[in-house]
Amino acid sequence: MSDIRRRDPRKEWIARNRLHPQHLEVLAALGRGTGEEAASEWMGPHGLIRRNPRAVGFIGPNGVKRIDRSGAQQGQRAGGARASAAASKPRVEIAAPAFLVAVVPDMAGGRLTGHDRDLLGLARQLADADPAARGAVLAVVFGEHKEDDFEGAGVDRLLHLTGPEIDGFAPEARLGALVAMDRAWGPRHWLLPDSKLGGADLGRRLAARLGERPATGVWQLEADGEAPLGWRCTARGAAGTLDFQRPMPRLVLALAECAEPVSETRHAAEPLALPEALPIQLSRIQDLGQVAVDPAGVALSEAEFILSAGNGVRDWDAFHHAAEMLGATEGASRVAVDDGFMARDRQVGATGTWVTARVYVAVGISGAIQHLQGIQTCDKVVAINMDPGCDMIKRADLAVIGDSAKVLEALVALVEKSREEKRNAA
Amino acid sequence: MLDTLLPILIAAALALAVIGAGRRVRLWRQGRPARVSLLKGLAAMPRRYLVDLHHVVARDKAMSNTHVATAGGFVAAAVLMILVHGLGLGAEVAEGALGWLLLAASATMFVGSCFVARRRRHPPSRLSRGPWMRLPKSLMAFSLSVFAITLPTVGLLPEDFGSWMLALALLAVLVWGLGEMFFGMTWGGPMKHAFAGALHLAFHRRAERFSTRTGGSGRSTGLKALDLEDPKAPLGVEKPADFTWNQLLGFDACVQCGRCEAACPAFAAGQPLNPKKLIQDMVVGMAGGSDAAYAGSPYPGKPVGEHQGHAQGPIVAREGKALVDAETLWSCTTCRACVEECPMMIEHVDAIVDMRRFLTLEHGNTPNKGPEVLDNLIATDNPGGFDPGARMHWAADLELPLMADLQQVDVLLWMGDGAYDMRNQRTLRALVKVLRAAGVDFAVLGNEERDSGDVARRLGDEATFQSLAQRNIATLAKYRFLQIVTCDPHSFHVLGNEYGELGGHYRVHHHSTFIAELHEEGRLAFRPWKGGRVTYHDPCYLGRYNGEFEAPRNVLRALGIEVAEMERSGFRSRCCGGGGGAPITDIPGKQRIPDMRMGDVRETGAELVAVGCPQCTAMLEGVVDSAAEVRDIAELVADALVEPPAGHAKGPARTARPLAEEVVS
Amino acid sequence: MRPESHHDAPLAVTVLVSVGRHPLTGRGRRADQDARGVELSHTLTGAAVELLHAGRLDEGSEAALRGYLGMGFESLSLLEQPAGADVLPALAEALEASGPQLVIAGERAEQGEGSGLLPYLLAERLGWPLVSGLAAVEEVKEGVATLLQALPRGQRRRLQVRLPAIVTVDAAAPAPRQSAFGPARRGDVDVQAVPARDDADLAQWQAQSARKRPKRLKIVKAASARDRFKAAAAKAQGGGGQVLTEVTPEEGAEAIFKLLKEEGVLR
Repeated sequence: MSDIRRRDPRKEWIARNRLHPQHLEVLAALGRGTGEEAASEWMGPHGLIRRNPRAVGFIGPNGVKRIDRSGAQQGQRAGGARASAAASKPRVEIAAPAFLVAVVPDMAGGRLTGHDRDLLGLARQLADADPAARGAVLAVVFGEHKEDDFEGAGVDRLLHLTGPEIDGFAPEARLGALVAMDRAWGPRHWLLPDSKLGGADLGRRLAARLGERPATGVWQLEADGEAPLGWRCTARGAAGTLDFQRPMPRLVLALAECAEPVSETRHAAEPLALPEALPIQLSRIQDLGQVAVDPAGVALSEAEFILSAGNGVRDWDAFHHAAEMLGATEGASRVAVDDGFMARDRQVGATGTWVTARVYVAVGISGAIQHLQGIQTCDKVVAINMDPGCDMIKRADLAVIGDSAKVLEALVALVEKSREEKRNAA
Repeated sequence: MLDTLLPILIAAALALAVIGAGRRVRLWRQGRPARVSLLKGLAAMPRRYLVDLHHVVARDKAMSNTHVATAGGFVAAAVLMILVHGLGLGAEVAEGALGWLLLAASATMFVGSCFVARRRRHPPSRLSRGPWMRLPKSLMAFSLSVFAITLPTVGLLPEDFGSWMLALALLAVLVWGLGEMFFGMTWGGPMKHAFAGALHLAFHRRAERFSTRTGGSGRSTGLKALDLEDPKAPLGVEKPADFTWNQLLGFDACVQCGRCEAACPAFAAGQPLNPKKLIQDMVVGMAGGSDAAYAGSPYPGKPVGEHQGHAQGPIVAREGKALVDAETLWSCTTCRACVEECPMMIEHVDAIVDMRRFLTLEHGNTPNKGPEVLDNLIATDNPGGFDPGARMHWAADLELPLMADLQQVDVLLWMGDGAYDMRNQRTLRALVKVLRAAGVDFAVLGNEERDSGDVARRLGDEATFQSLAQRNIATLAKYRFLQIVTCDPHSFHVLGNEYGELGGHYRVHHHSTFIAELHEEGRLAFRPWKGGRVTYHDPCYLGRYNGEFEAPRNVLRALGIEVAEMERSGFRSRCCGGGGGAPITDIPGKQRIPDMRMGDVRETGAELVAVGCPQCTAMLEGVVDSAAEVRDIAELVADALVEPPAGHAKGPARTARPLAEEVVS
Repeated sequence: MRPESHHDAPLAVTVLVSVGRHPLTGRGRRADQDARGVELSHTLTGAAVELLHAGRLDEGSEAALRGYLGMGFESLSLLEQPAGADVLPALAEALEASGPQLVIAGERAEQGEGSGLLPYLLAERLGWPLVSGLAAVEEVKEGVATLLQALPRGQRRRLQVRLPAIVTVDAAAPAPRQSAFGPARRGDVDVQAVPARDDADLAQWQAQSARKRPKRLKIVKAASARDRFKAAAAKAQGGGGQVLTEVTPEEGAEAIFKLLKEEGVLR
């Protein structure tokens, strides 16, 4: 369906004329809704919003027609419009860029991560700062990917490199490609995510090879005419305890949330190719592939998602099964450990491990003070418990009162179902 | 025939005993030197034996009487026998009275040994068997044969009564008796306890713990400091020879009565510790050999016979097995129940901490969360690793006066690390409320306070303890105060008993003592108790370590509470399992110590257990499905506060106290 | 260490150690990652391990450096460098001179810039391969080391690298053993005077203690003021937890599933 709004003067005229036999049909056709209901709102010929109060409202309990002016009814309809708005974002083309901003996204799982999108947002800031001489954002993607929205993420040029030599952990080959790229196009800025997923490593290798002193842990950028590149940056240092204010260098390793991701515009994402073939290198590092690791064995303090069991858990096999299905790291309350159901290194709390999980699901844990102290820094706490009065429920962001075994069982079923759907869709 | 043989026999037994004694002394002298006043100790020994040791033995009346009869009879009989039969003074001196006395002594000893034999018929599991099972027979053999050979001396029987066969049989029995009593005493038989025990009492490493005629304190519980200034000074005990000689002597004094075993909470919980076995292992190590001959209860879960060592070999191996496994040492809660019960006054806890010191300071092998806690203490001055600047956060709304502002107060309130613990903050709040109600002039150190060093010291990290203690002492030296009050018995003990050696002398009171005093002065009034049955749990570091059993009970009485005592209370109180870093090292057992303690509480039918220690609160409250609520005494008092009756104005009480003029630095 | 059981020369390993800084109190300590590196070196049987530090020896740093000695070492080499010096040339020259097979370093320093660049610059200068984020060294045989590299969420990757090489460790490497007081006190700090080069760039930058980063709000790109208001209001009332009582297990599970999905922890 086209997004362009076309006006039909005849229909507008009919809509204004309440006595016209086709009045209601036209009204419906002009409205945003489908034909079943009469449109309640439309734009008049002079750009004014017109309302038809007869088309809105509902019959109240006393048989009187009621119109809800809180907008609740309108809110329900907003969805469709928003979806089409995404497609209608203005498209920006930069045909002859004044300079290049090279970005090397992590592409974890073959898709742009949130961190990558933030970084592309930062790249756009750099590229679009001077409207008179706009730069282009060049993304370098290694290996096969599943991303289909480079345009929406703010990529003007896309260099997609594939080949067996750069698959897996191949920092030397990838570095060779980046160096070749630097030689070919000489981007004004190099941006990499300062992340464990690869950006931190590759960025530092590039810095050492190019002989540039990079800014690492950058989380803030501001224009500064005196700096060589026109920008100043704030960089985290000393294990996150210091902020360094410094002129922005050519190579920047930036933290997540360093900038807002691009959301208003679409870009060309025009494919590029290197002018010359990659140099063949003898790799001194050989990737033997990933090793299977049991999620239950991940250190508690590092775990991102913990399923924790307490005194209320009766069916331990079901609990372990649930943890495995959810891909969660197992934790336990002190009691569960003391009773011998869980190992001591699984104990969460002030006397066990202080956890930093983003999501903490407490199953049958009443929430002793020491336990609550240990989960202080958890973002989201979910409690499944029989007792609605216990302290864990008060702490939890979401609490389900009920038989934990049954809830877990239902949850596992849901996860299985969604996995199944995903598999079928793929 | 007897006349000629007896003196030879007795002389031979005595000579062998002397040789054995020499050998035994050589074993003890493998240990490090210790500064002990030999003569003074020997002079004090009889009193230490008759008063202090007997005070402990007399807790078991029957055994006490048995021992008086047997030991008293033996000592008298032995001396008289030497005089009468050895030197032949029987007939001439005092018209044969010596002979009659000897008869009486050996008869008494025989009666005593009958009771010993009865005890040994169905011995409780805490008693060691093995050679100890033959002891009553040996005692009987000695007493009966001495009795028999004395009969002719006093003329009750003709000199040549019976045949030479009978005389030979009698002699054989006498040789057995003499062998056990004289030879065995110094060559390692059960009677060794008498010889080593007497010397151990004389050269005890804690002379202060014995009462004196002038009324000494009779309590000495603070650990002794290591010399960290001297880089050559050893850090703890690696091998048996690293103990001081009087410690080795002390181990040798053990009678294997197993009272320590019966009192030990770790043993009861099935953790691999048995204080009796530990002491015996030290004896094995001192003499060299394996523990296969040990005939008592083993360390739970550790069969006898797998461990061995010698005086110059390691006690705990880095890998594999040596004399003792490390987890045995780390099971101890340092509750001192064993020391309190030991009739031979052996210092188990000192020995355990000495060995722990080596494991921590030299091996770097503190188990489980130990290293983390110690690192936290080093980096943040508290075991939890919290921001030292957040120590006062719990009292953000209380506007507590700070020492830094006031410089001089009556009472310095020592908060302890409980300031970081949400549960203990309730106790602290209650205590502050009580102090304010009584109009006490108090202040806190605030963020200047550090951990007292208790946990570091019990975990064997003497270096961290001394560092914390020295900095605390320096902080305290900046201010003037009359006394320190704390709701943490561990801080109380360390500040009061262990800082002295490092130069910090303070008057320290536990909050229960202080509240009791305030109540006596009429500065606090309570509404009567309306709740249910209440029992009281004695914290080890308040009770056994510092002898404060009465003040908390007085406070509870003042609240109108009649304490339903647990079977194990007072000096026999069972540990909560929270002392000595035990929750940190966390050695697994069959059950948990706090669960057993809450079982004791349940037996009294109490709905509430009053405590006076943050560790006890945490441990006991951590027991699941317990029927009783756990409240600190301060909380109970704070809840019961009412305005004091008129006439007891707050003013005079305060001015009656002298201002800080005799402050100790 | 049993050198006699290997007939060839023991594997020469150098661990680069730095003075750490406790995040709360700022006191000097063993740097966590470096200590993990030292621990990693302990897992290499038959290796001759040397500890190397470039910096000053003063009251603040000595306790921290002795902390490494307390992990069971007799000595530590210290290349004397003033504060604010660029330690790269000193370290590179020392490594070139001693020629170890394997250099282990922490990923980032806890003081100074802490950019984590040093191992990369060393690798570039020495021409050695570098592997980052190590979890374990599985085997060293015939000049090739088999390594386990740590990936996020506890995953591991097996790599082989030709020696000599530099490896870095982070928090996924084995936790360091306790530092014992006795060996730490006895250990020898071997101070060597070496020429120093100033880090001119670093001196020009302004350093201040880290500001708390603003938490990103969920920005609602709403067409109408009403939607924006609704979004803002929903954030404000989000403090209290949602309690589902008297729901079927399926409904409860549905709610939890939704939350897990939203948080993106389900894969």
